[in-house]
Formats: sequence, C-alpha cells, structure tokens
Amino acid sequence: MSLDLKTTALHGWHVEKGATMADFGGYEMPLWYDSAKAEHLSVLTHAGLFDTSHMAVILLSGSQSYSLLQNTFTKDLDACIGKNRGPLVPGRSTYGAFLNAHGETIDDGIINQLAKDDYMVVVNAGMGAVIAGHLQDQLYEGVEVVDLTDRFGKIDIQGPHSAKILWKVLALPEVAFAELPYFSFKGHFLSDTARAKEITLKDGTPLMLSRTGYTGEFGFELFVPPEATEKVWQLLLDAGEDLGITPCGLAARDSLRGGAVLPLSHQDIGHWPFVRHPWPFALPYDASCDNFTKDFLGADALLAAEDAPYTYAFVGKDARKVDTEEAVVLSNTDQEIGTVLTCVTDMAIGLVDGEIVSIASPDRPEGFAPRGLCCGFLKTDRVLEIGTNLILLQGKRRLPVRVVTDVRPHRTARKAIKQMI
Amino acid sequence: MKDVSDLILPENLRYTETHEWARKEGDEIVMGLSDYAQDQLGDIVFVELPDVGDSFEGGGEFATVESVKAASEVYLPVDGTITAVNEELEGSPELVNGSPYEEAWVVRFKPANPADFENLMDVSTYRTFCGDQ
Repeated sequence: MSLDLKTTALHGWHVEKGATMADFGGYEMPLWYDSAKAEHLSVLTHAGLFDTSHMAVILLSGSQSYSLLQNTFTKDLDACIGKNRGPLVPGRSTYGAFLNAHGETIDDGIINQLAKDDYMVVVNAGMGAVIAGHLQDQLYEGVEVVDLTDRFGKIDIQGPHSAKILWKVLALPEVAFAELPYFSFKGHFLSDTARAKEITLKDGTPLMLSRTGYTGEFGFELFVPPEATEKVWQLLLDAGEDLGITPCGLAARDSLRGGAVLPLSHQDIGHWPFVRHPWPFALPYDASCDNFTKDFLGADALLAAEDAPYTYAFVGKDARKVDTEEAVVLSNTDQEIGTVLTCVTDMAIGLVDGEIVSIASPDRPEGFAPRGLCCGFLKTDRVLEIGTNLILLQGKRRLPVRVVTDVRPHRTARKAIKQMI
Repeated sequence: MKDVSDLILPENLRYTETHEWARKEGDEIVMGLSDYAQDQLGDIVFVELPDVGDSFEGGGEFATVESVKAASEVYLPVDGTITAVNEELEGSPELVNGSPYEEAWVVRFKPANPADFENLMDVSTYRTFCGDQ
C-alpha cells in the first residue's frame, strides 16, 4: 500500500477479500473483487454494495446558507424539484456543480436540504476541503461551513433488490420507504441531530437513507456513523445473501455510470466551461434555454462562452475501448476533431438489429447474453448531430462509435419503491 | 489480486517478461497468457486475433486482449509464423480468465529458429520475476 494514500474503514475488508486496489481521489480503493463484469451485472439483476466512504460531505448552517448555495451552485434552488420545478425543500436533494468565475467546474455534487438554513453537500473524494474553502471564500456572514471528510461512512446499495435487502435491517422499513421518491432522503448519521431518530437500523444505529446513486439503477446511498461502517456493510451482505448481493469495486461503478450517461468530475467535466454537455438539467436554464433563471458564480462566463468545447456521449459497436490518454476523435473524413474523456465497457448491453438492448430490457431476445459495448464521453470543438458516426483512434486501433443521447436502456433509478419491495 | 505464491504456473511451460506462456508441440509452439497476466488485467471482454500465415518478430505485438481496465497487447515470444488461432476466444473471451493454460491458448506458431524457445524463462525464474513486479 502506498504510504501517501488514505483508506476507508472498509479497507481491511477489501484487502482481505483479495480486491485489486488502486488510487482513486487519494484513497486506496477496490477496483474489483473477483470479477468487475459479474459486479456490474449484479447491479442490473440483483444488488451491488459499494464502499463510497472516500466521498466528502460538507454541512452548511446559518441564515445565509441558502443564499451562499444559490449563488455558487449551478442549480436554481428555487426551481429544481419535480417536473413543475418547485423549490428545494427539507428532505429533498438536487444535483449540480460548483464553478469558478470562468464557468469551469471545481466539482459536482448533490445538495440535500436538512432543514431551513441547514444543508448537507455531498462532493467527490478529496474535494471536501476544496469546496468548503471555496464556499468560505465567498465571505458570507452568518454561515457555518463544516467539512466532514473522513468523519462518516458511506455505503451505496444499488440494484433491483436494494429495498428488499434494506427492509430486513431497518427498524421501521415501512416508515422509511413511505414517500421517498428519487432524489429525496430521510435520517442523519450524526446522532445529536434532529433527523437522526427518523431512520435507524434495528439495533438503533442512526443513518441517512438517500434515494440517490451513481449507477443509473434503483438504489440508495447510506451515510452512517464512521464507527458503524464495517458493521453496516456486513449486515447488508448478510441480509442480501439470499437475494444475490455482490460487493462491487470502482471499476463496476465506472462502467455502470458510463452506461447511465453520468459524468465523472475532473474527467468529463473540469477545467473548461460547464456548458454544451449532456447534463443541461444541472443548469438553471429558463424556457428559452438562452438564459438562466438566477445569477450564480460562473453564470456570466457560461453565457459568454462562445468558444467552449462540446461534450457528447458515444457508444461503440463492441466491447473494445481506447485509452483516453492517447486516443483522439476523428470525423468520418478522418479529420481530428477532439479527445476522449471517458471510455468504458458497459457489460450489460449489446446491439440487436442496431438497437441497444440491456440484460434488464423487457423486450430482450431469449437467451440474450451480450458481450458489452464501449461507451463514454468525448470532447470536440464543433456541434455534432446525434447519430453522427465517428472514429476513436489510438495507434492503429480504429473504433467506430456513434454520438448518442443515451446508452443503457431500461434503467431503474426512478422506479417507485413500492414496485421494488 | 493474487499473491505470487498463489499464482498457478505449470512446470512444463516457458514464460516471457510480458507474461505470455509457451509450450513446444512438435516443431510448433502453442502460447497464451499467464495466470499473472489474467489476474492483473481482470475480466477479459474482447480478444482480437491475427490471421493464420501472419509473421511476427519475437516481442512483436500480434494480438490484443481487452480487459475491463484497458486494451493490452500480446507479444509473440520468439520470431515465428502463425499456424492456428483460437477462434473460441472471439466468442468467449472470459476463457482467458477461467482457463488460461488450457482452453484459452491464443495461437499456435512455427518458430523461425526453434532454438530460441530455450531462451524463454523457466517456471522458477518466472515466479521470481513476477515477485519483483
């Protein structure tokens, strides 16, 4: 193990299980245990368990906390919930990004409103201090910003059996799961907070149960007291044994999120303006889509970013990938037009008569056993039509890919809990 | 990831520094990827094979295996000409993980200079080499 890398409470468990470990965001984390492919597939067919304790949590409280977030986050907190774009309210969550004055992404994250003037922001590994510092630099009076990096455990349970498994370990599951739509949460992992009594395990351990995730599939993110992390992990593995639960590493997490067209911060979004990408829902566009419904740090730069690059999702024709460090994007006339940001293989999908089909698609052919399709994101200097055929070139390898709006069909993230119990 | 002591490395094979195995069969050599290689790469999801009749120099790239991590080149241990390829791998690339020495042989080739085979590492040298990686 590298001496420079941090570890989570589950590091010993990962190593004991023989996981292939790697640096991710300054933490030594499992890439896979036995088989990244089996782990990926388990999230579509059963349930996968991910250690995501390397992520960071920041608490904001005080009378100006709403104003501070509204002025630094790309989502309009007054218009972000549901189809009718209602305001963020306690118990609900919203996804967006924090930008610098040039409109470039510092990090993306999810804001959870705990109570009036009380927020919890979830950002990426190693970004707790950076985002906390960025928020404090805005010099808002009357806001307390606390970086909770490494002071909680985070376990994601993702896949169709997630709720059934949680049902076995929660103290009052029917209460926990009542009115818990996509991007909402209940409970808290800090035992001295008001929400801590909302959700507990059968043994009384408090936790935050969040209807979110990074796989595109039905599931939850659990925030637990740091000392309870190993216990909760083992509890879920035991409870899920007969439902096919599988511990999953970051390789499966990466390939699942690729197929779900979700960006990886500092790879698919980063030091370029946060516009012209497949995630316009993270920006506060008004009905005209030419302007924003609010002002925020970086907004002027985004509206003026005429030279900003374009980011598109792509899908290939088989499982072959390119190395993003080396590959370039070629137009159909072999003109070099861009670079590759992410290139992964979604092992749960394949082409049937030119259409992408998943092992979870209700209309899949009998005996459907796909070999996987390469997918990811590319960055180019020009507008591309959806459906455009391109080549990813690495050395002598030429992979034909197509610009798409979506990759893995029939994802379950938004399914109602009552359908999944 | 496996400890070096847990690697399955058959005694009767020779090995390369790029983690291929090779076995003499008559005047031909059969080769594939070692247990160390498949363990490091993780799940193999795609294999690209050469054509029968193609010639390569020793150490030359002749095939590509695609794992969940990345595409990796496979190198011919010594100068030679491909006489057979294992087409099973195109449909079932996971054989490289499950049966690296039996079902997942990659190619059979005729060495330009049969004596070159003797320069490849024996099992004890290779196991030490893996431990130093």
